[in-house]
Amino acid sequence: MTRATPLLAARGAGRRFGHRSALEPVELEIWDGEAVALVGPNGAGKSTLLALLAGALEASVGTVERRNDARVGWAPQRPAQYGRLSARENLELFARLEGERDPQGVTERLLYEFDLPGEPEPSANLSVGNRQRLNLAIAQLGKPQVLLLDEPTAALDPEQRARLWKRVADLRASGGAVMFATQNVDEVERVADRVAALREGRLVYAGSAGDYDRTQVETLSA
Amino acid sequence: MKRVLLLLRKDVLVLRRSPLLLGILIAYPIALAVLVGMVASYGSSKPRVAFVDEDNLPSTVVLGGHRFDVQRTIDKVSKNVTLVRLSPEEASRQLDDGRVVGVVTVPPGFVSTLRGMVHSPQLQLELSTGTISSRVEQQVQALVYSLNRQLQRAYIASNLRYVQLILNGGDGSFLGAPITVLGIQKAQRILRAMPQTQRTAVLLDFLHDARLALANTNDALSSTAHPIELVRAPARGRTWALSAEVQAYALGLTITFLALLLAAGSLAAERDENVVGRLARGLVGLGQLVWSKVALAAAVALALGLAISLAFGVVIQVGGVTGGEPWRRLPLLVVGLVLAGGSVGALGAFLGAIAREARSASLIAVLVVMPIVFLGLIPAEIVPPAGWISALLPFSHAVDFFRSALYDLSPWREVALQGLWLLVLGAVFGGLARVGARRLLA
Repeated sequence: MTRATPLLAARGAGRRFGHRSALEPVELEIWDGEAVALVGPNGAGKSTLLALLAGALEASVGTVERRNDARVGWAPQRPAQYGRLSARENLELFARLEGERDPQGVTERLLYEFDLPGEPEPSANLSVGNRQRLNLAIAQLGKPQVLLLDEPTAALDPEQRARLWKRVADLRASGGAVMFATQNVDEVERVADRVAALREGRLVYAGSAGDYDRTQVETLSA
Repeated sequence: MKRVLLLLRKDVLVLRRSPLLLGILIAYPIALAVLVGMVASYGSSKPRVAFVDEDNLPSTVVLGGHRFDVQRTIDKVSKNVTLVRLSPEEASRQLDDGRVVGVVTVPPGFVSTLRGMVHSPQLQLELSTGTISSRVEQQVQALVYSLNRQLQRAYIASNLRYVQLILNGGDGSFLGAPITVLGIQKAQRILRAMPQTQRTAVLLDFLHDARLALANTNDALSSTAHPIELVRAPARGRTWALSAEVQAYALGLTITFLALLLAAGSLAAERDENVVGRLARGLVGLGQLVWSKVALAAAVALALGLAISLAFGVVIQVGGVTGGEPWRRLPLLVVGLVLAGGSVGALGAFLGAIAREARSASLIAVLVVMPIVFLGLIPAEIVPPAGWISALLPFSHAVDFFRSALYDLSPWREVALQGLWLLVLGAVFGGLARVGARRLLA
């Protein structure tokens, strides 16, 4: 169901770190049920844009708008969790911070769904794949309507990738949306409705996935 | 508030999972407090003073019938200085290069002048220039005072023997020459045996008065020697190791070190864990993040401070040490511990926000804590700028709070004043940390 305003929108939002511009002002909208792929080379500003949209960074210029404070889940590229806490303790802590009514119940469910170890092992000792799964599981807390995923499948095995995209499909089916940064063209073609391409901090392409043409993007950014 | 408590609970859990780190964090400042205490007590240790004997003092000297063992007498009266026997040349050299802080010289003819008991012999004192010379002078004066007291007893005993000779008569000596004295008693007997006239009556009356007067000579001589006598009452109060001063500094130093390091390290660690962004997107504000670290510092300061105070209290109680109030002031101390921990924690959070990275934050905290503590240890009366700077840092206010809470008969005014200082400093540093915490997002 599409409404009059986007779930999430960057209105000329940009970010500077000191004198360095990480992201030039960007206009971008995410609508109900959409899957938007964010592509571009390393250092193009994909992670900065996702962090701005997630509210993890403040925009130096412009604003980020959310429809009726739509809830946003964010999984940064580098897992954001406490290394000395176990997977269960991390999930329970963030569940409480997200205001989940049944933090323990949600924790148990996510441990099961993401196939995470329930032992009191510090998450710093988990494998890279398990840490990324925990990172993604934390992003699910708080019943988000929009998921912002920064290269979510980079450390996942094929089975876990499939599970993730199934979860994304379910979210979209229920009216939610997803924006994900990726270097994987297959994922763009299989999952995305629209593509946003960044290069050197500038949005150089925004359009449907069907029209997405790498050659065209390269021409635009030249 | 609930979110701050959730983060505080997480930090305590993380701390519990690092027993080695926690042990070092607790043991290190306590060891540091002991070392600082030892260094401070060195300030009142015995200075090294050269003793130059140009009179070739004999091993014993007899004065007024008293035999003095010279070395034993010197040892007895020189409790506050370490006297080192040196030649005049060596003493002069060591005074120049600072190995002794003063030279006491016994000039030639000292003992013979002393034996004559007519003139006062002189000791010569030469001091180095420096901050402790006045203290050394006081200690050498104390040494001469002690020596004089020993000699006064001998002089008084000697003078009293002459008085006894005048009263009772008999054989004696004066300036080495033998003498025979009739004595007042015998003179009275002779006069009474004579035919009683008005003149004998006047003489008998005079002798009676003279006897009465000389009978009080002992007390009169003693009071002349010591117009004011200092009588030391039996020792009471706590030993230095258990004094409120030591306890206040031990608490202040331990808490300052621990709270500063914990708050700085744990705030910067949030960025190391990459969770600041996750928290800042509406879950926990940067202000709440800072205050959670302040709360952590206050909680740990409270736990550790209470443990130290309980240990002091138990030792005082078990040892039956007088002058202590180990338990009655604990509630007041609790307030001070929380305020001090929070205030230092806010400063630590500020350092953590500036450093942005846990290892750098810990290093900066360790580097900063030493000047903070030493500035607080320097008496403001001696170096006023140190006092001004220290007044803008929590350590000295924490120590003053603890000292007053533990020691003062009526601590309320001082405790309120220092508590307010801690509160204001905590708010200022907390505010700065909140502003600086934006750097954690970069």
